[in-house]
Amino acid sequence: MSTSMTPPSSAHQRTTADQAVRGNGRAVTAAPPGVPQSPLEASSKRSRWTVAILLAVAMLWTLIPLVWMLLSSFKNRSDVTAATPQVLFAPTLDNYRNLFSGPNNLGPYIWHSVLAAGISALLALFLGALAGYGLARTRMRGKKHLAFWIISTRMAPIAAIVVPLFLIFRGLGLIDSIPGLVLAYLTFNLPFAIWLMSAFFAEVPPSLEESALVAGCTRWQAFRTVILPLTKSGLVTTFVLCLVFAWNDYAFAVVFSGPNSQTLPIAASQLVTQTGIDWGQLTAIGTIVVVPMMLAGLAVRRWLVTGLTLGAVTGE
Amino acid sequence: MAKVLYEEATRVYPGTERPAVDALDLDISDGEFLVLVGPSGCGKSTSLRMLAGLERVDGGRITIGERDVTHLPPRDRDIAMVFQNYALYPHMSVADNMGFALRVMKAPKQERDRRVRDAARLLDLEEYLDRRPKELSGGQRQRVAMGRAIVREPQVFLMDEPLSNLDAKLRVQTRTQIAALQRRLGVTTVYVTHDQVEAMTMGDRVAVLKDGLLQQVDTPLRLYQHPANVFVAGFIGSPSMNLAEFRVEGEEAVLGGTRIRLSRETLEALRKEGGDRLVLGFRPEAVDVIAETDADAEHRTFPVTVTVVEELGSDAFLYGQYADAAHPALLDQTVIARVDPNAPPAKGDRVRLRIAQGKERLFSAVTGRRLPP
Ligand SMILES: Nc1ncnc2c1ncn2[C@@H]1O[C@H](COP(=O)(O)OP(=O)(O)OP(=O)(O)O)[C@@H](O)[C@H]1O
Ligand SMILES: [Mg+2]
Repeated sequence: MSTSMTPPSSAHQRTTADQAVRGNGRAVTAAPPGVPQSPLEASSKRSRWTVAILLAVAMLWTLIPLVWMLLSSFKNRSDVTAATPQVLFAPTLDNYRNLFSGPNNLGPYIWHSVLAAGISALLALFLGALAGYGLARTRMRGKKHLAFWIISTRMAPIAAIVVPLFLIFRGLGLIDSIPGLVLAYLTFNLPFAIWLMSAFFAEVPPSLEESALVAGCTRWQAFRTVILPLTKSGLVTTFVLCLVFAWNDYAFAVVFSGPNSQTLPIAASQLVTQTGIDWGQLTAIGTIVVVPMMLAGLAVRRWLVTGLTLGAVTGE
Repeated sequence: MAKVLYEEATRVYPGTERPAVDALDLDISDGEFLVLVGPSGCGKSTSLRMLAGLERVDGGRITIGERDVTHLPPRDRDIAMVFQNYALYPHMSVADNMGFALRVMKAPKQERDRRVRDAARLLDLEEYLDRRPKELSGGQRQRVAMGRAIVREPQVFLMDEPLSNLDAKLRVQTRTQIAALQRRLGVTTVYVTHDQVEAMTMGDRVAVLKDGLLQQVDTPLRLYQHPANVFVAGFIGSPSMNLAEFRVEGEEAVLGGTRIRLSRETLEALRKEGGDRLVLGFRPEAVDVIAETDADAEHRTFPVTVTVVEELGSDAFLYGQYADAAHPALLDQTVIARVDPNAPPAKGDRVRLRIAQGKERLFSAVTGRRLPP
C-alpha cells in the first residue's frame, strides 16, 4: 500500500489520548482553584474553549435539520406547513400510518433497501477482505500502482458509469432486480473495501501469521484465527461505510430499479409530485432512512472510532 | 529431535541479482545448538526462514531428520520459531498463545493444559497465564515466546534474534537461561544473532556468514583461535583482533620497524600465491607490554602512544596509536591490547608492545584465507 494513500497511522496518539481521557474523565487536569495559572495553561484553556465552541456550532449545524425532520414527521398537515415554526404541537402518527397503507405501501421499499444494501455491503466486505489481504501481503512489483488503480475506479462520478452499466445490465437482464442493484453498489463499494481493508491488514505484522503458519495453520486458518480477529475494527468500519453508501444511494436506484426493486430514497422522491409535496410523509421517510444508520453507527461506535484512526491492531 | 542438513541451499529474492543465501552447506547434528552469526544483511534470517519454510528455496536441499523438507509448507516441518518481535497474538491470553499450536493440532484439552502449565512453570510464567501480551514486560513477553516454542515439543527450535529487544542486563541473563534450557530439553536449535558475544557464549558451534556465503563453522574456541579468514578473524572476538598488512622481505614479515619471522610452510604458501604481502593479526591479549629499553632485543615489538584506556575491573584495554616517527605512514594504525588491570598505563604514555611468540595469525593478502603457520 502506498504511503501517500494510506491514512497515517496514529496508534500512539490514539492510545495516549485514550489514557488521558480514561485517566480522570478529563483530558487535562485543571489547576486547583486559587493556584495562579501560567500563561501556557491560560492559553491552553482558551484554545479548549475555542474547540468547544466550534464543536457546538458544528453539532447544531448537523443536528438541527435532523431534529426538525424528526419533529415534522410527527406533525399533522397544518402544523408542518405553518408559517411560524411549531415547536409545541400535538404529535400524530398519521404520516407513518399513511406511508404503510394504501397502494403505495412503504414495506416493499424498505425490504428492497435492506436486501440491496445489506447483501452488497456483506459481499463488499467479504471480497474486499480477501483481496485487501492479498494486496497487503503481496511482494509483487508495481503493487502501489495496482492499489492506486483499484481505488481510482471509485473516483469516477456515478454518472460516468451509469450508462455503460445500464447497457450491460439490460443485456444480462439485471434491470429492476435486487442482484442488479447489489452489483451496481459493488462497483463502488468493492474498490473502497479492498483499499480500506488492505490498509488495516498492512498494519498487522507479517510475523504474526508466519508464527501461525509455523504453528501448524494453513494460510486460511492463519487468516481466520489470527488476522481477522485483529482487524475487527477494520471489518466493522468497512462494513458500515459500505452499508451507508448503498443505503443512501439514489443515483443507481433511480436508473436501475423498477417496481420489483425500488428502494427507500426512490419512495421519498415519489412523494415530490406535481400536485405538491407531502412534507409530513417526506420527513417520515427521511426519518426511516436516517434512524437505522444512526443506530448502527451508535452500536459500533467503539469500533468505528478505532477503525477510522487505524493502528488499532497490534495493541503495542 | 533431529539433525538438520542444508545442502547448497540457495535463495535469490525476486528482482535481485546476488543470492541472499548462496549455496549454504551446514550439517547440524541432533540436539546441537548452532548459532548463525554475521553482520546485518548477510543472510542469517533468510537462512533460518528457508528452514522454517517461510522463504522459498531456489536451489539445493534442506532436510530435517530423514525428511526432505525443501518444498514442504511450514506446518509440515514440525518446528517452532521464536521471532525477533515475539509475534505474540495480541488478542489471546498468554495461555492461549502458548497452547495455540496444540489447539491447531487438535490435541486434547487436558494434555494442552498440562503442557502449557509445565512450560509456564519452567519459565516462571504461571501467574501471567490469564494476561494479554500487552500487559507484560518485555522480558515476560520474551519468555512467553519461548514458552510457545517449548509447548510445541518440536523437532527443531528456530530463533531469530530473540534477545535483541531486551536491555543489556536482561539479555545477558536470558542468554544463559536459553542456553541452559536448550541443553536440558536437548532439542536441535538454530539461533540467529548479529551479536558475536551471544554467538560465542551460546553456541555449541557457530556459523559465520557474510554476503550470503558461509565463512566458517566451528566451535567458539576454534573460531576464536583459528579463524579461517580475515573476515572471521576481525568479526569474532571483542575487542576485535588487530589486523595489519605486512610486507614480506626475505623470511620475515615487515611493518615499519616490526619484523616477524615466517615459517617455511608460510613462505611456501606465499610463493605459490606469488604475493609479497600478507595480513597479520594478533589478539589484544596476545601482546605483552615491555620496557622501552628492550626495544632492540626482539623484532616482534612496536611502540605505541596510549590514546584511551578502558578499565573494566577484571580487564583493562589499551587503545593506542603506532608511534614510530620513522614510519609516518603507519601513524594512523590503531592498536588494541589487553594490559594488567592493576597497573594500566595512563593516557598519553608511550609503551612498547610485543606480540607473543606463536600468537600471530597469518592470512593471504590476496584471498584473505588463513596461511599455514
Ligand atoms: N523480501 C526481500 N526482498 C528482497 N531482498 C530481501 C528481502 N529480504 C531480505 N532481502 C535481502 O537479503 C539479504 C539478506 O537479508 P536477511 O534478512 O537474511 O539479513 P540478516 O542477516 O538477517 O540481517 P539482519 O541482521 O539485519 O537481520 C539482504 O541483503 C536483504 O536486503
Ligand atoms: Mg535478520
